[in-house]
Amino acid sequence: MTWSIAAPAVTAAFLASLVEVVEAFTIVLAVATLRGWRPAALGTTAGLAVLAGIVLLLGPLLNRVPISALQLVIGVLLLLFGMGWLRKASLRAAGVIPLHDEEAVFAAETATLSERAHNRRRSLDWAAGITALKAVLLEGLEVVFIVIAVGAGRGLLVPASLGALAACGLVLAAGVMLHRPLSRVPENLLKFGVGVMLSAFGVFWTGEGLGIAWPGEDLALLFFAALFLAAGLIGSSLARKLSMEFAS
Amino acid sequence: MTMLKELAVELVGMFAGEKRLTLAVLALVAAAGCLLDFTTLNELIAGAVLPFGCVLLLIENVCRSARARAS
Repeated sequence: MTWSIAAPAVTAAFLASLVEVVEAFTIVLAVATLRGWRPAALGTTAGLAVLAGIVLLLGPLLNRVPISALQLVIGVLLLLFGMGWLRKASLRAAGVIPLHDEEAVFAAETATLSERAHNRRRSLDWAAGITALKAVLLEGLEVVFIVIAVGAGRGLLVPASLGALAACGLVLAAGVMLHRPLSRVPENLLKFGVGVMLSAFGVFWTGEGLGIAWPGEDLALLFFAALFLAAGLIGSSLARKLSMEFAS
Repeated sequence: MTMLKELAVELVGMFAGEKRLTLAVLALVAAAGCLLDFTTLNELIAGAVLPFGCVLLLIENVCRSARARAS
């Protein structure tokens, strides 16, 4: 294992998981605030169990796929996923689309559950549990994909998983202490950084999958990251200028 | 069933949230693959199409989205 590739993989898994876990935590907290910790904990546990099942089912299959095919497929998926995040983060930084607001998500989820409570009081615990399960499952799937994507190509699944687990632990600890949505997390900055890293990994794996031997080997990742960082910043700056021109 | 649908929508959205960008990236990867397999072009020149092409596609897409939202 070389640090030039292990460090970006662990960092990408940690930061991406931080963003996703904060989003899931906001919804689980809304459920817990309105209906108590029991349905929230049950939904979360069920979500984590389904995720574990998916990983246990699909994990061994990864070893059977030829490495170049795995690198190509994962590389392309990472490119699509990472560039999507970077695009959104650039547009948010330019003020073209609104920033993700955890307080607003918390308020919206609480309002939805309150409305359900008004309509059908009996099945509310069930509905609250399902809401928590969905949040954990949907955001968790993204975490699982990122961990597999940044870790599977070079046998870094364990360090990447540890990065993701550290993010879960950090969010849970902060959440337990604060008991409110973690709205102070600089989510767009994190998404910008993770988008840069995932896009860099995407180009790297896609190229290797196509049979390209990148000059500098793993160090090429740093060059790709710098390239995507510059692209995101240039895109954001151009988008800001364009929206100001149209506004005036 | 509704949850499965939502799960499927979320999964598709993860990779194909912006259709134009998705198609452009897939076309770029296919073009880089063709350059490597079917031409005698130097591997690194063909490979350079990938990072530099992605970067141009990203900037173009961000500007296009900003223009579309502003107008």
